[in-house]
Amino acid sequence: MEQSAVFWLSLIVFLPALGALALVAIPKDKPDIIKLVSLLTTAAVFAITCGVAFGGLGAEVHFQKGVATMQDAFTVPWIPSFNIYYFMGMDGISFTLVMLTAFVTMLSMGASWNIEKHVKAYCILFLLLETGMLGVFLALDFFLFYVFWEVMLLPMYFLIGVWGGPRREYAAIKFFLYTLLGSVFMLIAILMLYFNSDLRVLAEQDGFSPAIEGSKWEQLHIDDEATQRVQNGGSDQIHTFNILALAAMGQHTARFDGEMLWGKSLQWWAFLLLFVGFIIKVPAVPVHTWLPDAHVEAPTPISMILAGILLKMGGYGIIRICYPICPDAGFDLAWLVTTIGVLSMIYGAFAAMAQKDFKRLVAYSSVSHMGYVLLGIGVWSAWSGTNYNAEYWQMGMNGAMFQMIAHGISSPGMFFMVGIIYDRVHHRNLDEFGGLFAKSPVYSGIAFGIFFAGLGLPGLCGFIGEVFVTLSVWNFSHALAILSAATVILTAGYILWTLQRVYLGPEYKGPHGDHITPITGRELAIGAPLLAMCIVFGVFPKLIFDYMTPSVNKEVSELAVWTKNVKQPRLLEEGFDRQEERETDDMIGQVSQAR
Amino acid sequence: MNETLAASLPTLLGIAWLLPLVSFTLIVLFGPRMGKHGIGAAYLATLAIVVGFLCSAIALGMWVSVHPLSPAHAAAEEHAIDVGREHEAGAAEHGHEDLKAPNYYAGDLYTLGQFGKLKVTIGYYIDALTVGMFAMVTLIASCIHFYAIGYMHDELHDVTDHEVVLSDGHHLHRPGRFHRFFQYLSLFCFSMLGLVYAGNIAMVFVFWELVGICSYFLIGFYIERKSASNAANKAFIVNRVGDFGMIIGLMALWAGLGTFAFGDTQEADGSISHGIFSQVRGADSHYELTVPDGMVRAAAYQMVSEVSVDHRRNPDPLAAESEIAARVPNYRAQHYGYWLLVVAGVGIFCGCVGKSAQFPLHVWLPDAMEGPTPVSALVHSATMVAAGVYLAGRFYPVFTPEARLVIAYTGGITLFLAATIAITATDIKRVLAYSTVSQLGYMMLALGVGGWVAGLFHLITHAFFKSLLFLCSGSVIHACHTNEMPNMGGLLKKMPWTGWTMLVGCLAIIGAGLPPVFPFWPFGFGLSGFYSKDSIIAQAYSFWTANPTHGMILFAAAAGGASMTAFYMFRLWFMTFIGPPRDHHIYDHAHESPRIMYVPLVILATFAVVIGWTLSGVWSVTDLLEQARWPGEAGEGVLLPNLVYPNEHVSHEPAVHLIAGLTAFSTALGGVLLAFVFYGARWLNPAEARQQFAPIYTFLLNKWYFDELYQVLFVRPVHFVAAIVAWFDKQVIDGLIHNLARWTRGVAEIDDLIDRYFVDGFVNLFAAWTWSLGNSLRGMQTGKLRQYVMLIVIGTVALAVIVNFASAQ
Repeated sequence: MEQSAVFWLSLIVFLPALGALALVAIPKDKPDIIKLVSLLTTAAVFAITCGVAFGGLGAEVHFQKGVATMQDAFTVPWIPSFNIYYFMGMDGISFTLVMLTAFVTMLSMGASWNIEKHVKAYCILFLLLETGMLGVFLALDFFLFYVFWEVMLLPMYFLIGVWGGPRREYAAIKFFLYTLLGSVFMLIAILMLYFNSDLRVLAEQDGFSPAIEGSKWEQLHIDDEATQRVQNGGSDQIHTFNILALAAMGQHTARFDGEMLWGKSLQWWAFLLLFVGFIIKVPAVPVHTWLPDAHVEAPTPISMILAGILLKMGGYGIIRICYPICPDAGFDLAWLVTTIGVLSMIYGAFAAMAQKDFKRLVAYSSVSHMGYVLLGIGVWSAWSGTNYNAEYWQMGMNGAMFQMIAHGISSPGMFFMVGIIYDRVHHRNLDEFGGLFAKSPVYSGIAFGIFFAGLGLPGLCGFIGEVFVTLSVWNFSHALAILSAATVILTAGYILWTLQRVYLGPEYKGPHGDHITPITGRELAIGAPLLAMCIVFGVFPKLIFDYMTPSVNKEVSELAVWTKNVKQPRLLEEGFDRQEERETDDMIGQVSQAR
Repeated sequence: MNETLAASLPTLLGIAWLLPLVSFTLIVLFGPRMGKHGIGAAYLATLAIVVGFLCSAIALGMWVSVHPLSPAHAAAEEHAIDVGREHEAGAAEHGHEDLKAPNYYAGDLYTLGQFGKLKVTIGYYIDALTVGMFAMVTLIASCIHFYAIGYMHDELHDVTDHEVVLSDGHHLHRPGRFHRFFQYLSLFCFSMLGLVYAGNIAMVFVFWELVGICSYFLIGFYIERKSASNAANKAFIVNRVGDFGMIIGLMALWAGLGTFAFGDTQEADGSISHGIFSQVRGADSHYELTVPDGMVRAAAYQMVSEVSVDHRRNPDPLAAESEIAARVPNYRAQHYGYWLLVVAGVGIFCGCVGKSAQFPLHVWLPDAMEGPTPVSALVHSATMVAAGVYLAGRFYPVFTPEARLVIAYTGGITLFLAATIAITATDIKRVLAYSTVSQLGYMMLALGVGGWVAGLFHLITHAFFKSLLFLCSGSVIHACHTNEMPNMGGLLKKMPWTGWTMLVGCLAIIGAGLPPVFPFWPFGFGLSGFYSKDSIIAQAYSFWTANPTHGMILFAAAAGGASMTAFYMFRLWFMTFIGPPRDHHIYDHAHESPRIMYVPLVILATFAVVIGWTLSGVWSVTDLLEQARWPGEAGEGVLLPNLVYPNEHVSHEPAVHLIAGLTAFSTALGGVLLAFVFYGARWLNPAEARQQFAPIYTFLLNKWYFDELYQVLFVRPVHFVAAIVAWFDKQVIDGLIHNLARWTRGVAEIDDLIDRYFVDGFVNLFAAWTWSLGNSLRGMQTGKLRQYVMLIVIGTVALAVIVNFASAQ
């Protein structure tokens, strides 16, 4: 079983890289063949992910819907002296994002057809980028994760910096430096966690004993050799990069609780460093300003990838890494996560309203929509005042995950719609459009559908994520709930105003009016599937929830249990309980009995 | 519950609901290729809605045969009157065992998402109100589809839009969009029926937004006109403001109840999951308003927290839960969570305010008249805007008395405000639009003062006569090519069908009829509006008797509004159809509309007359609605303890009814007479009156300056904040980044200088020394062998001497 998992998962990740290798052999005066090979490669990756989803590749790697734990996971030694493994696997959280990545990348490769400059280099970088993205979602070893994270960065830098618009160099370096800053923070946090981890301590916890069959140890997919070392004992600490093991340590041991700096614990700092690294990617206010520039300058297909997938890595990182590994910090900083989420929603919407550049507007709408993700992740509403009821938080986190998928479809769609008209008239000034509906009705119809998905219209994918997140917030904070609800007005405002300026009206007002031709077959083949997905997921969101909900619920339930068993006693000890200060446990009973 | 109905109603109504969706999808895909110029689209859409009407009619028939329309409440009525009297005496005892929840059929079709016990579904809730609404909506929609085939025929060929001037000075010339109109109309029917079919409030919200977007498309049907797209945007955004409140209500409900379902449904495992209604007004509490457990717990979270902290070491995981549950009644008795119920009710009502164009969100509806007239008739008078009233009625069991008072005042203000504006408007459709706003205010007022049946009854009757009035106005516009009434006049001769049916509509809306002054006919006799308006005024009066201050204000609004309605409606009719023609060019070209347009008028006029009549056991809208009433609507406020709601049956008492009838009759008569004096007989000149009351007239003509006010209060500030945010982004955040980059580069340059002048300087200095040393030594490099030998000799001798001295010491 493990053999076939190793093969197929590695193939998913490295097939694009192999494709890039193959492109080297093709002479560069045959751009069409190069594009075709690239497209076929991305299509093959998508086909494999579909095979995993629907069981076409045999039962061994068939992704099971109702299972919450990691599937198809395997561990192969890579750099054993530093406990680094080639460790991959997927659960509902990552698998849906892998599907999204394969799908959007394939469509953006299709959208790359009118790239004419250095086609060969473009395609090679594009495919390497895909390898990096898929690797990030599948890696479960923190070091491997970091490597893929960096692998993704460079192709993106060149794709923006070489194939972009007039200010491409500025945008590319801005993107690069911002992201690199995040990476550096992440690296520090990784090392902090690594050097404080100890598998031997974890093995002593209840239910984690490696000696017992069927213990939770097995779910961590620790390599046999490492397990052996743990069982042998010894005085040396056994560090690990295993994300699952780190999470177990964060929730079941006190390894990361030691004070580090200014009275804050190690995990508090680790959380903050990781969080900053991830929200740069999301991006959230105030570290979002690379996004509008990168989007405006990047060519259309790269904008699609950027909006569709790269932004999701931030949310994915917070769900997969920040919260499980550093729950204590997550609990204490829940206000920060949610506040930044709501701030991004409102700030992004306002900023979008003021834009004159079509693409910049869509970029700011991404900031606003991704704010929902942070908000949904952060609504830690399982605490003593709700008797540790985790259902609303489950809803919030599921909504956040759904919002990532939904945004991953609608946002590339929006950028593609901008790209279609930009290809024809070579400007993006919102005040110089108008009347496109009459000139190009099919294109305009698809654009309306996709923009309405962004607006959160029911029946389209944007609605489900937004509403589920918003509904879950009330139990966490009334004020944030009301603010998040207010965003619907702003969103309607800027999207409808944009549609009016671009598509409605009697006539086109800008230059090159005679170049506006109806949508081509290739463009239709990219736009229509995106719209179709918007509708399908808007009407049958369960298609996605069936995959992701078990895994998300598992994570949230574990954190709720942790709140009850670990955090609550800790709060009482510190005398910071939300209601009153108490000295000892015995008194509490008396007080409430007296009531 | 009846097995046959439980099996067949969801299917029948489901078919009626989904057929327009099928039609919409087909028209989207194949619209332009359907027949000549897409005329097939109209036939398809009309077929879909007519079949939908047949299904609804069958469903209604089945419903009535199982749940007969007997005046079953007659027996309960006397009892209820007693209850009402008890209320007046201040006793709030509810000992009635015969109360029972209405018959309904509820279930789920499929699940959108489920998290633990929380479940968001697509389902249905069918009761007498649903069935009645289905029949009403599909009937009116069918009439309007037929009418629109005639009205929209211009769109079958190329159109020259005279309202749009291009940059080259020509009028816009564009291909017709016949099929697209019917495409939107079908989508609208689907959405509207889905809203009525909905089994939970989340699904209502889904279709709520969808009807909103249909309205957006239909208002902006003439996409080339700036005014149309502005009006469409305005409609949608103003509605979103209402939705903002509605979402807050939804959140409060969802957090408190953990369900959105209206009724109880059976789960797959056979257990019953309780819906909103039975949680808020359960049979256990005799349908008294009860704050649901979840809200109590949410408000009493401090105590809940203590209990769960106490029990956190308890090995029994359910112990904390059961102790909390045991304490909840105690918290509830202290009114914990009551305010959450108020927030939920008022929040949901905010959505209704937006959709039903109530004050202060009424501003979008008059602008919505930019759409083609059939749309105004169907969407913006009869059905969609009534959805707000429908939801307020549907959600009635959840409203606390405080929330109802909010509803009553909103309705009262709206009906007065809109009626005053309608008096001065000259655009025929705008008069009707303001009249719609005003009538919707009536319905809200009725619901707010406890008249559940009265409000929804008026919703049904209004749908018929208002759609009739709009279609008539459309017929007039079709003939005159103008909306301005001052250019019309004397059209009755030219357009008899339109004129007379419109008169029926006017009589219906003012509630023309004989009040119940004759002892042998205790209900009076009149057109449909007579019955519904009378019952509203009667309810307002009954409310007045229980609440002196609030009641007086609201009753005055209702009565005053009635007389203004009569005035502006007859002003409209007289100006359009009576007297000498004011513009002969228009008059000469005016003609009666084709049969496909006036036959629907006649059908609607017939219903406008008879829909309010009662034929015991056969035909009675009130008896039908009565079957859907959730019991226990009487009660007192908690936050406002003086607020008392009497039972609605009190308003059927002859004494109350007589006073109400006389009030309605006299006010309406006064209004009609005034209109006759000014516009019918023209004994007085309206221009003089206008001059005399110039400030008021200007104020009303400018619609109380609401648009200007909102522009200053909201629109401009939003754009201002947006500009600030964009500036902040560019200057502050990016400025910071750029400065950081600049500093970094500055540091790099300093670093470079240090490198160049200090480190390199040192190295260079060293090199220079070495070089100069070498250079100075170069002088010795002469290449002369003798010199070298001599130097070697001197060196060797010197070395020998030194070594010798050194060793000697």
